[in-house]
Amino acid sequence: MMPTFKKILFNLFAWSIVLAVAFPLFWMLVTSVKPGFELFRRPPTILPETWTLEHYWKLLSETNFLIYFRNSIILSTATTLVVVAVATLGAFSLVRFKYRGRESLAFLVLFTYLLPSVVLIIPLYLLMVGLGLSNTIFSLVIAYTTFALPYALWLLRSFMAGIPEDLESAALCDGATRMGAFRDVILPQLLPGIISTALFTFILSWNEYLYALVLVNSDASRPLTTGVMNMLISSFNIEWSLLMAASVMMSVPLIIVFAFLQSYLTRGFGAGGVKG
Amino acid sequence: MAEVVFSNVQKKFGTFTAVHGLDLNINEGEFVSLLGPSGCGKTTTLRMLAGLEFPSSGDIRIGSRVVNDLAPGERDIAMVFQSYALYPHMTVGDNMAYPLKKRGVKKAEREAAVAKTAELLQLTPLLSRKPRQLSGGQQQRVALGRALVRDPQVFLLDEPLSNLDAKLRGYMRVELVELHRRLGRTMVYVTHDQLEAMTMSDRIAVMEGGKLQQFAPPAEVYAEPANRFVASFIGTPGMTLMDGDLTRQDGCWTFSAPGLSLPVGPLKDIAQPGPACFGVRPEHVRIGEGPVSGLVQVVEKTGHENIVIIGLEGGQRLTGRVPAPQSWTIGESVRLSFDTDFAHIFAAGTHGERLNLTQAPRSANHLNLTTVKTETQS
Ligand SMILES: Nc1ncnc2c1ncn2[C@@H]1O[C@H](COP(=O)(O)OP(=O)(O)OP(=O)(O)O)[C@@H](O)[C@H]1O
Ligand SMILES: [Mg+2]
Repeated sequence: MMPTFKKILFNLFAWSIVLAVAFPLFWMLVTSVKPGFELFRRPPTILPETWTLEHYWKLLSETNFLIYFRNSIILSTATTLVVVAVATLGAFSLVRFKYRGRESLAFLVLFTYLLPSVVLIIPLYLLMVGLGLSNTIFSLVIAYTTFALPYALWLLRSFMAGIPEDLESAALCDGATRMGAFRDVILPQLLPGIISTALFTFILSWNEYLYALVLVNSDASRPLTTGVMNMLISSFNIEWSLLMAASVMMSVPLIIVFAFLQSYLTRGFGAGGVKG
Repeated sequence: MAEVVFSNVQKKFGTFTAVHGLDLNINEGEFVSLLGPSGCGKTTTLRMLAGLEFPSSGDIRIGSRVVNDLAPGERDIAMVFQSYALYPHMTVGDNMAYPLKKRGVKKAEREAAVAKTAELLQLTPLLSRKPRQLSGGQQQRVALGRALVRDPQVFLLDEPLSNLDAKLRGYMRVELVELHRRLGRTMVYVTHDQLEAMTMSDRIAVMEGGKLQQFAPPAEVYAEPANRFVASFIGTPGMTLMDGDLTRQDGCWTFSAPGLSLPVGPLKDIAQPGPACFGVRPEHVRIGEGPVSGLVQVVEKTGHENIVIIGLEGGQRLTGRVPAPQSWTIGESVRLSFDTDFAHIFAAGTHGERLNLTQAPRSANHLNLTTVKTETQS
């Protein structure tokens, strides 16, 4: 009796949380396929009476949406590649090489997080101008790297520390070079860590708003976040239907990425069970 | 051609010295154990030989080459790690083929060599499995297989049996000795288990605190321990060690402790009257009659023999060993004597040198290695 009651209560609780999280997403999807006149009807319709893809079509054909989308893809992919490559080698160095100040260096890297990003934006902007990079996607790649790298480094460092040193020693004894051992033995072991780091970095860059707002203001290199805001939200009017359609399309790449890599992630977590 | 020589090798980690001026001459084809308590520098020594750690000073030679500056892969060694260090993402077959692959052996030859080694170690049915799908003993054999698949000059083994259960360990000991005899390669074997060292080795290097204590064949390490540390470390149950005083009268030495006074044989010149230590193995204590008296405190029955612990009048405890039918009851008062030919005198201190001038007579029936003797070397 009691356990059943508890179970029901627990389920109720869990589902109410799921609902609270899922409802806005559901509403976003529904709004994006409602025709304009149905949008503000009272009482609101839960499911649209007439379905339409006109907002999507309008976004794709009449606006800069596709340019922003392409920019975001380039930006996030480039940032992810740079961050993962640098963080992997950096973590390897921090864990396996012996040199003075190794630990302090690792902590120093975290210092970046002590400064609010607002403080860093203006200096970064001036730097970019100085380098002649202002208003380019590349300037955003650099900016995102500055805040994604420290976390990525620490994440990979703990993954790296979990790889037994003997594995590398064994590869060296078996005739591999240092680089060969890294490629043959360390990298495959690190794969789950690399994938979760990549996932983290990609999501971070995809969703970033503040830096993009300040560092870039030409339509040619704006990413989705600032581009969509700029295009659809003005002081007088918010294009709700278009905004929701844009939001749906912005979420799709993340959902795809997650769907693919999530299986890698869980596989990675289960794979650590070998002695040595 | 592939002897291994350490000349005055020292290894420091920061200010801590893990290995002190080590000199070791390992002959070609010899099976040498590095034996010592935990933290004594065995692994460090082996890793220096492998090239995974670099000596702070001194030279290491393999065959005719000084290998100080050679990478592990260039030293023609194969190493088995205590943790096995199997590559988790490769199959057993790929694990074993890896050292060949890294040395540019062609695929067909690789497969043939792996098949042959797998046959030898009974791994053939497991070749396509991943390491995590193997039992501890099977993983250990794969680790061994990965070393054996090549024909290196020197095999390095770091406590390869320590993760196995007692029975499997006994079996693998015999297998390894057999393997060594067949391959005739130099093997350096690290262990903290004296039974392994005694049964398998041609010579044992006993280490402690980063220093080499003695380097000699097992029987010699047992019968003529170089110092008090070696005497106490080797042998189960351990040698009885009693602190007391040495006195000299008319050129004859006497060892005395409370309730005990024993004439001892000729000693080295460096022997000084004063504090010293008397040591006797359990099998050289004769219980029944003699000048010394004591009370039986503990009797441990192991089946084929009884270990008797006796408290002497002076308060010291002494371990004796008698064949099974003889036994004593606890609290019984007994008289005893020592086989003084086999007793040892050590200088004072935990590492006091053995002072006996003559070597202890080594006859097989006195050298009671019972547990360790039977399955020994070739
Ligand atoms: N990388 C290192 N940095 C600092 N100290 C070290 C390092 N490696 C080993 N040591 C120290 O050197 C000493 C010898 O270590 P080593 O691993 O050789 O011991 P061991 O004889 O193999 O012991 P065990 O039987 O426990 O494996 C230990 O005191 C250890 O703490
Ligand atoms: Mg060790």
